[in-house]
Amino acid sequence: MLELQKPRPIWQIMFSTHHTDVGLLYLITSLGFLFLGGALALAIRAELFLPGAQIISDAMTFNRMFTVHGTTLIFLFIIPFASAVGNYFVPIMVRYKDMAYPKLNAIAYWMIPPSGALIWLGFADFTWYATPPYSIISAPGPAADMWIFGLKILGISSILGSINFIVTILKCKHPDMSIGQVPLLAWSFLSSSLIILVAIPTFAAALLMLLTDRLGVSGFFNPALGGDPIAYAHLFWFTFHPEVYVLVIPAIGMMYEIIPRFSRKPIFSYNSGVFAFVLLSIVGFSSWAHHMYATGMSFTEKTVFMVGTLAAVPASAMHVFNFIATMWNGRIRFSSPMMWAVGGIALFFSAGAGGVVNSAMPLDFTTHDTYWVVGHFHLFVMGTIAFGSIGYLYYMFPYVTGRMYNEAMGKIHFIMSFVGTVMVFFTQHVLGLYGMPRRVFDYPPIPEWIAMNQIASIGAMIIGVSMVVFLANMIHSSARGAPANIEDPFGLGGRYYYPFEARNPRH
Amino acid sequence: MLPWVFLVVSAAMILPAAAAFAAGDEPGEYLDRRVVIWNLFFKMMTVAFTVGAVVSGTIIWLIWRFRESNPKAKPTPYEGTDW
Repeated sequence: MLELQKPRPIWQIMFSTHHTDVGLLYLITSLGFLFLGGALALAIRAELFLPGAQIISDAMTFNRMFTVHGTTLIFLFIIPFASAVGNYFVPIMVRYKDMAYPKLNAIAYWMIPPSGALIWLGFADFTWYATPPYSIISAPGPAADMWIFGLKILGISSILGSINFIVTILKCKHPDMSIGQVPLLAWSFLSSSLIILVAIPTFAAALLMLLTDRLGVSGFFNPALGGDPIAYAHLFWFTFHPEVYVLVIPAIGMMYEIIPRFSRKPIFSYNSGVFAFVLLSIVGFSSWAHHMYATGMSFTEKTVFMVGTLAAVPASAMHVFNFIATMWNGRIRFSSPMMWAVGGIALFFSAGAGGVVNSAMPLDFTTHDTYWVVGHFHLFVMGTIAFGSIGYLYYMFPYVTGRMYNEAMGKIHFIMSFVGTVMVFFTQHVLGLYGMPRRVFDYPPIPEWIAMNQIASIGAMIIGVSMVVFLANMIHSSARGAPANIEDPFGLGGRYYYPFEARNPRH
Repeated sequence: MLPWVFLVVSAAMILPAAAAFAAGDEPGEYLDRRVVIWNLFFKMMTVAFTVGAVVSGTIIWLIWRFRESNPKAKPTPYEGTDW
């Protein structure tokens, strides 16, 4: 397990198919893209600090920056980070020597760097939604085509990874282990992998249609040729509303590892955790059109999707209740992983409450395409998913490196990020209620808008500084940190039954 | 078993209500949409803030009460075992 403690030639890790080596590659790649995407976010917030052009020369460049920002952090940070955790821990949790298909696993990873290169070298401008008909008619190439190919490759990578996780969990688990004994983190990967298998092919088809439309050989989404951009919206959101659960379910699974461990108690209800994962996987497919209330759907259709969306509330509430009940009567050590996990739960609840307001169709008309939506979405991806993921990174750090990170720096990182997240994304909710549209390069000098944009930008800078602390901590501690007690790195007592049991045959 | 019962009961309660709500959409009805929307918003925000205050308050209290440095903290029954 100690990937970095015994130095090896880099090629030995790069061309390895062992699950911990592939996990390490996923981890480093995802963190690299976290910092790249985060840098774009800081530039966007700096631009919006005041009305008028500040640091970005024109609206097209601004559009390119937020398109690549969103694409990078969703597809090149969150998903690969989850894959890193899954690669490290799922085979160990199901007590198997590796992933079911090690070479396929390495191939799935190696699709990510070229996809990232296509997305970053192209720097498309049509938002992460690839908005048609603009993306068909006038989005400049080759940037748009490179984005489409990049996403296509990432989709194949996700499907290969999902097949591997599903087969590893269902077919390679130890014969003595029933499916009801598989840890909740592995269950989260099983659920999200099943969602990917059902959801991604639809977007894969939509991307092909988008590409052939751009090439002029079809007109699926081109109104001038009798096509319908709303059809693209259906195909896109059929994939990407479930994709939200693909992102959030592994993060919740990570919290299910951290919270019992640091509360020094087993999880309150394993069965309700499994049930909630399965329920979220199903109801994730019943809510895609709530993104499209403003497209002229009938009242009955909107009602169906409103109810379908609200069906996710009981499952999410089960998770929150499970976490609270697990902490109850525990003896909680607030090391960095636990702080991130608890912060993530609090923000998960806030994001969910905002989502309930969004799902109510009359209110959705009020908040549609305003900064409310930006605040809501980011509260999920940053406040819940990134918080759970970063917490888990601190948790797995000693197992990966054999060293301990600096605890004080981890806590500073958390506090600054939590304050910054609240400042940015809670403020953006209010900004949306004040009517500021999203995806704008400039805005009129309305005093309330200026004040709230400045609060949000200062919050973003606080997060940016915290990420510098994080980077310094990771680099310094992985090279010179104190050696970790692998049996019990956080001094919690008890026995850790799986993380240190993996043995890389190359070591 | 209990979650399945909860799911079935929830579905049995929600679906007829939703159908009745959708069927009640009659043309010609005059509404001041701005008033209706903001009334709904304030009602939902009242519920959200109330539930949010309870959940957040519970989490903050948990953090305070069950932290290991609290003088009242005591070892859990699972410490030192292979749970």
